[in-house]
Amino acid sequence: MSILLNDDTRVIVQGITGKIGSVQTKWMLEYGTKIVGGVTPGKGGQTVEGLPVFNYVDDAVKETGANASVFFVPAIFVLDAFLETVDAGIDLIVIVPEHIPVHDAMKMRDYAKDKGTLALGPTTPGILSPGKGKMGIMPASLFAPGRVGVISRSGTLSYEFAGILSEKNIGQSTVVGMGADPVVLCNLPEILEMFENDADTDAVIIVGEVGGEQEEKAADFIAHNMKKPIASYIAGRFSPQGKKMGHAGAIVRGSAGTYDGKIEAFKKAGVTVLESPVHVNAWAEKHHLR
Amino acid sequence: MRLHEYEGAAIFEKFGIPVPRRGVVRTVEGALRIADEIGFPVVLKSQVLVGGRGLAGGIKTAESSDELEKSADDLLNMEIKGLPVKELMISERVKIAKELYMGITIDGYSGKPVAVVSTEGGVLIEETAKHSPEKIASVKIDPKLGFYPYQAQKLLRQLGLAPKPLTACSDILVRLYKVFEKYEAIIVEINPLVILENGGLMAVDAVLEIDDSALFRLKKSLSLPTDNRLGNSLENKGKEIGVTYVDLDGDIGLISSGAGLGMASMDIIGNKLNPANFLETGGGITADLLYKCMELILMKDLKAIFINIYGGINPIHEGAKGIVKYIKDHHLTLPIVAKALGNHQEETWEILRSGGVHVVTQAATETAVDKLIDLLK
Repeated sequence: MSILLNDDTRVIVQGITGKIGSVQTKWMLEYGTKIVGGVTPGKGGQTVEGLPVFNYVDDAVKETGANASVFFVPAIFVLDAFLETVDAGIDLIVIVPEHIPVHDAMKMRDYAKDKGTLALGPTTPGILSPGKGKMGIMPASLFAPGRVGVISRSGTLSYEFAGILSEKNIGQSTVVGMGADPVVLCNLPEILEMFENDADTDAVIIVGEVGGEQEEKAADFIAHNMKKPIASYIAGRFSPQGKKMGHAGAIVRGSAGTYDGKIEAFKKAGVTVLESPVHVNAWAEKHHLR
Repeated sequence: MRLHEYEGAAIFEKFGIPVPRRGVVRTVEGALRIADEIGFPVVLKSQVLVGGRGLAGGIKTAESSDELEKSADDLLNMEIKGLPVKELMISERVKIAKELYMGITIDGYSGKPVAVVSTEGGVLIEETAKHSPEKIASVKIDPKLGFYPYQAQKLLRQLGLAPKPLTACSDILVRLYKVFEKYEAIIVEINPLVILENGGLMAVDAVLEIDDSALFRLKKSLSLPTDNRLGNSLENKGKEIGVTYVDLDGDIGLISSGAGLGMASMDIIGNKLNPANFLETGGGITADLLYKCMELILMKDLKAIFINIYGGINPIHEGAKGIVKYIKDHHLTLPIVAKALGNHQEETWEILRSGGVHVVTQAATETAVDKLIDLLK
């Protein structure tokens, strides 16, 4: 078993007829993901990569038995499409697009929590379980099957870690992008709990960055609830204070969310702190990870 | 998008929050005219979009025309944290009995708005948060329901205010939440909210930062210029072409395809070399965009260029075409190291090599940084 994706996952692609949506659908299919259809309002009846396109999510669910959805919907329509998808009874939603208004993200998070829907993002590369499937945009060539779980706030750094591990033949059980925005739909401890309970994951890597409180809260969770070995890298040690580095999630404000604060919290919780991504190899060797 | 104090104050006023009488000027003559209208004494406040302008000497008071003339002239010829002062807000000077702090921002972890109040208004609110947390009270807000007077009162009661200012303050806090909601703020803040000697209240500063991602639906109601608001012209240019650009002091140009990867690149470069900038493309790479990125970073004198990109959602082979076109158009001979992995990687390497770029095909950014250091020896 892997986390989040399994043999029963039936995925629809929202925004499937778009330029990015259609290309990524092809790549997800090539990777073996069970994609069962797509949704684009006004394009119902068409097909993409041989898959049926629907106007409405509830129709797609009724016709295909879909239980998961990945979004390539333009940012300004995401809130509406998200509420529709939750109402249609989808269990797992991956929000790939960036630049979604944070006040929309607050509403999405609130609604998903109320209805018990699991959602990742916004601004996430998605989920990839090597050899099994992927929901999102992770470039498959960098990943290899194995027993290390990776959870990352940054999309590109999840690729960097997977690439470094795979080159040394250290495979991954599941790689999860949490989303790089200041408000994400699923917090770090929730994913950590899944990895702790996953029989196919032996150890976990947390890729964090300066700003926010995800890592501090994760450290607290780890100290009380986790036994598996954990390593963490925090990006942004040399980022100029108070400068916005792309995502508001990376704002360094006062002492909350600083590099030092996060490192201290992790050390206290017994997490191995990596000064650079490449140091993950030494850690993996020490724990005999494959 | 961070608003100037005078822009924020105008919005606060529209929402019924009491603000001082004031005017915005670009000249000494203008300052004298406004002061005549509102009467001395007045406060002169530099309108620059950086924190800590008071401590940096950007705020002065004047009792007379002579004093005003000198202070206005001083301020208009001043730079604060590298930003020239172009505009002054001249406002009435109020009689302060007590200063409070109130603000509303987003608590990222819970995904809810949070209202924060303190009896210690003024410039050192961050210090108060660190050393006297008991003087600060906060409450999370349900974004579905909004924020109600009883909640504001319950929060402010923790500060031990007398009944009369408490009611008036909670009224202002509820109005401030309406501003937060309507303008899709990342943060709204009144620091200080002044309790006047006559018992009235006044918002003597106005901080309002709007979520950039929401500007598409706010532009109409805002009626404010949204372009060229950053103090640095290269940073404005970055915004214009759709990338995040942060100007730095060094001489190595940096391009990455993600914020995390860009920050990690800086961490790994560390003290060995000095980045001239941080440039992050996000998910919108095209040949044209990377051509423009090259153009942008080369507006500064560079010793070398470091490119770190992944092909997930980004067509990096298209990006590579833009880079090589720029190199050929401008006969660029600088050392360029590029690490490019993911979808279309082989094609990308081939294109980059045709432009003389040193391509690194291993995942660890260290390998690419080592290559760069090697080339600069």
